[in-house]
Amino acid sequence: MANLKDIKRKIGSVKNTQKTTRAMKLVSTAKLRRAEEVAKRSRFYEEAINDTMSEIASAINKYKVGGIQGRYFEQVELPGVVDIIFITADKGLCGGFNYQTIKTVRSLLNEFQSKGTKVRLKAVGKKGIEFFAFQGYELSDKVIGLSSSPDYKKAAQFIQGSVEDFLAGKIDGVILIHNGYKNMITQEIKQVNLLPIDVSRFENKEVSSMIELEPDEGEKVLESLIKKYIEFNIYYALIDSLAAEHSARMQAMDAATKNAKEMVEQLTISYNKARQESITTELIEIISGMEAMK
Amino acid sequence: MDTLKLEIVTPEGLIFEGDVKSVTFPGEEGEFGVLPKHASLLSLLKPGVIEIEMSDGKKESIVINWGHVKVDENKATALVDGAIPLAGASQSEIAKRIEEAKELIEKASENKAALAAVEARIEKAAKII
Repeated sequence: MANLKDIKRKIGSVKNTQKTTRAMKLVSTAKLRRAEEVAKRSRFYEEAINDTMSEIASAINKYKVGGIQGRYFEQVELPGVVDIIFITADKGLCGGFNYQTIKTVRSLLNEFQSKGTKVRLKAVGKKGIEFFAFQGYELSDKVIGLSSSPDYKKAAQFIQGSVEDFLAGKIDGVILIHNGYKNMITQEIKQVNLLPIDVSRFENKEVSSMIELEPDEGEKVLESLIKKYIEFNIYYALIDSLAAEHSARMQAMDAATKNAKEMVEQLTISYNKARQESITTELIEIISGMEAMK
Repeated sequence: MDTLKLEIVTPEGLIFEGDVKSVTFPGEEGEFGVLPKHASLLSLLKPGVIEIEMSDGKKESIVINWGHVKVDENKATALVDGAIPLAGASQSEIAKRIEEAKELIEKASENKAALAAVEARIEKAAKII
């Protein structure tokens, strides 16, 4: 039987842990609310840019303006080199959040490698970088700090290299993977083929009239629009991932707090039992001592 | 009186939404005005001032650095990188906004002449307010 002092000390330490996890949960709840707010504001832009892209894509399909045969839309059957960009958190203690993303990246990696496609991994977030460094994979690009505070300019800079390589023909595709926010209690893995742009992803919209482009060279308009679209996509993924991270952490900390509570209850029971036992032993000793005196 | 629905959006959120009488954009190939029932148009925008005439006749100016605008018959959507509305409750607030706007423009362009022209426009727009 563990002695009373040990149990008491253990109860104290579990209670302290519980305090920490509860505090972390509250912090995550507050941060989640803020991240959600940012995501909500960005959704307007997302809708607007997706609308514009889909209208242009269908207009181009219909009227054959602008030159859809651009590199951006070229689908490759068997890509030679592919960039996988994935977003994880900078911090742990958020349940399976980071591992989910890493798992998806790994299975995709194996899939590509079995087909003979070379993969360049680009990581955002400390956890993913650490994992692949530990496994001995080479990362072609990595950035820390971007996933905990998304910044449009930095995100655009990060993706720029991939876009340039893609246009130069060095790579045949760019895939973006992140663990996204679904609702307060669930996250889901989102995998997007950033490049080449999948036209079928946009719903075919009825275009009322022919769109005039200004400047006249449609390529230029399209190109700058596509660039914006890609930049924004990665920025939005960062925001989405941040919201998901906070919701995952909130849940993990909630579970930890609950577990700690259960543990305290159990320890208290065994503490009481041990105390009762020691009292009983003492009583027996006194009584038998008295008996012996008679 | 016909009105046109105008939306100005940045990655950080919606800057302006409302029905307007007319709006002037700083297009890549020159400034252009849009009235209701305009033909469909997609244009790049350069650093400058978007001037809006609201349905009640009030004027508003928003400084932008880069973006594009999509115009339909009764709707115009401008997607811009950065935007600062030239409006405020007090004189000092407006002055602050003007400073911010100038900074935004300076970062966006290297062309000194164009920059000066835009800054002059900002001053002009600010006087109307």
